[in-house]
Amino acid sequence: MYLVATTVPPSGESEIMDKPPVRIVLAKIGLDGHDRGIKVVARGLRDAGFHVIYAGLWQTPESVVRTVADEDADWLGLSILSGAHMTLVPRVLHLLRQAGLEHVGVIVGGIIPESDVPKLLELGVARVFGPGTPIPEIVEFLRGRTPAPSAS
Amino acid sequence: MGNRQEIRELCQRFAAHDRQALSRLLTLASRGEQLEEIRHLVGAARAAPLDGQRGSPSRRVVAITGSPGVGKSTLVGRLIEVLRHQGSSVAVLACDPQSPLTGGALLGDRFRMPSRPEDPQVFIRSLATPGGRGAIPEHIDLMVALLQAFGFAWVILETVGAGQGETAVRHVADVVVLLVQPEAGDDIQWEKAGLFEVADLIVVHKADLPGADKVEAQIRTLVNLPGCREVPVLRVSSHQKEGLEELVKQIEILASQSRTSASSAKARLRDLLRERFVQAFEQLGGQAEELVRGWEEGRLSDEEVFAEVIERMASSSPSAN
Ligand SMILES: Nc1nc2c(ncn2[C@@H]2O[C@H](COP(=O)(O)OP(=O)(O)OP(=O)(O)O)[C@@H](O)[C@H]2O)c(=O)[nH]1
Ligand SMILES: [Mg+2]
Repeated sequence: MYLVATTVPPSGESEIMDKPPVRIVLAKIGLDGHDRGIKVVARGLRDAGFHVIYAGLWQTPESVVRTVADEDADWLGLSILSGAHMTLVPRVLHLLRQAGLEHVGVIVGGIIPESDVPKLLELGVARVFGPGTPIPEIVEFLRGRTPAPSAS
Repeated sequence: MGNRQEIRELCQRFAAHDRQALSRLLTLASRGEQLEEIRHLVGAARAAPLDGQRGSPSRRVVAITGSPGVGKSTLVGRLIEVLRHQGSSVAVLACDPQSPLTGGALLGDRFRMPSRPEDPQVFIRSLATPGGRGAIPEHIDLMVALLQAFGFAWVILETVGAGQGETAVRHVADVVVLLVQPEAGDDIQWEKAGLFEVADLIVVHKADLPGADKVEAQIRTLVNLPGCREVPVLRVSSHQKEGLEELVKQIEILASQSRTSASSAKARLRDLLRERFVQAFEQLGGQAEELVRGWEEGRLSDEEVFAEVIERMASSSPSAN
């Protein structure tokens, strides 16, 4: 009920919640069929106490935004391997704003060239995680940043 | 907390058919926050339906249960398609268990369902269920009521049914559909047979797999023993899209029966009274059972029952005693 300032427990350690669970939608946009990486992240975040809504492969910006809206998610994690991130991410951000969901934090994972990272951050992405980022790093980032849109 | 203003705003937006407000209210309900306000909102919407809902077809609440992996989400996805084809709106509450240790949950039902971002008549919400397998989330009844008040004609609940959860789900759902699948070799285990008792309808799912006829035959002998109520058994394959229309038809039939059966309406009214009023009411000298009986026998209307309750509650103000 009360949102207490979040301290980051040691990674991997469970934390029985005195605050509502953080909800994150994980989705893959684009045509490639590799979901191993995103599934590892999904399990890792679950084990860290998140409520992970796995939206799966082959999502479009439209379907992702609909999912975020109906799931009332706090975060959206996008995995993009196809190289089309510079068109897909802006589209998602635009649709989120259009839907009145600008409070939702967006993180991007996948294969993103170094030079595109600042552009994505500029557009409003909260953080870009390269392939093989250790889960605890993602967890720590989300915990430290979890806005409280839904915990008001 | 200071969010009286916020909840009031949400309720107004909900009444104006704002989908985001619905989504937010579902979250609050799932957390047990602002329950009074939400109940009030739902009650008001019931009395004065939102735009375009007057004369809309009757409401269905269907639970789809069965062991992990039996194909619940896939089937729900197919049902969404069939129902949309028929022009009915449909909302889904898809439940997955939450870890008792970390509170975390991997909610993976929705990716088996069609994503129809352009279709406002479909709503899917994933829910974590604390309390292990078989349980259903707290306040799911209120969430169902919100979805109905928003105008969804069908509400489908996906739950891993195994044990006590099933009886809980009965209170919310008009029809409980139990899924089983062909199993390599063995006979149906007897624990499973116990589950058959709570089902209104049994689906032999994945009927495209070998052994479906055998399972069906076994189930038929188990559920249709002399003296037991008859439970329809259907074969369905989501992969081959077989048996889906028939399933919807059967659900319709069962739902209309459950609605007209006085006993289920009675049970609901009783639950409501028990849960919310009885304690306080009886402390004030009220006699809840008496009221329920009057209602059953038609001597009292809903309104008269509530009037009596409210009057007594009102008389509890110190000056009245
Ligand atoms: N052969 C066959 N397989 C099916 C059918 N429907 C679903 N499956 C498969 O069954 C597996 C489980 O499907 P889900 O829909 O996730 O099952 P579930 O009951 O929702 O699973 P949980 O939510 O984890 O309890 C998947 O691999 C599906 O492809 C069907 O009609 N025939
Ligand atoms: Mg499922």
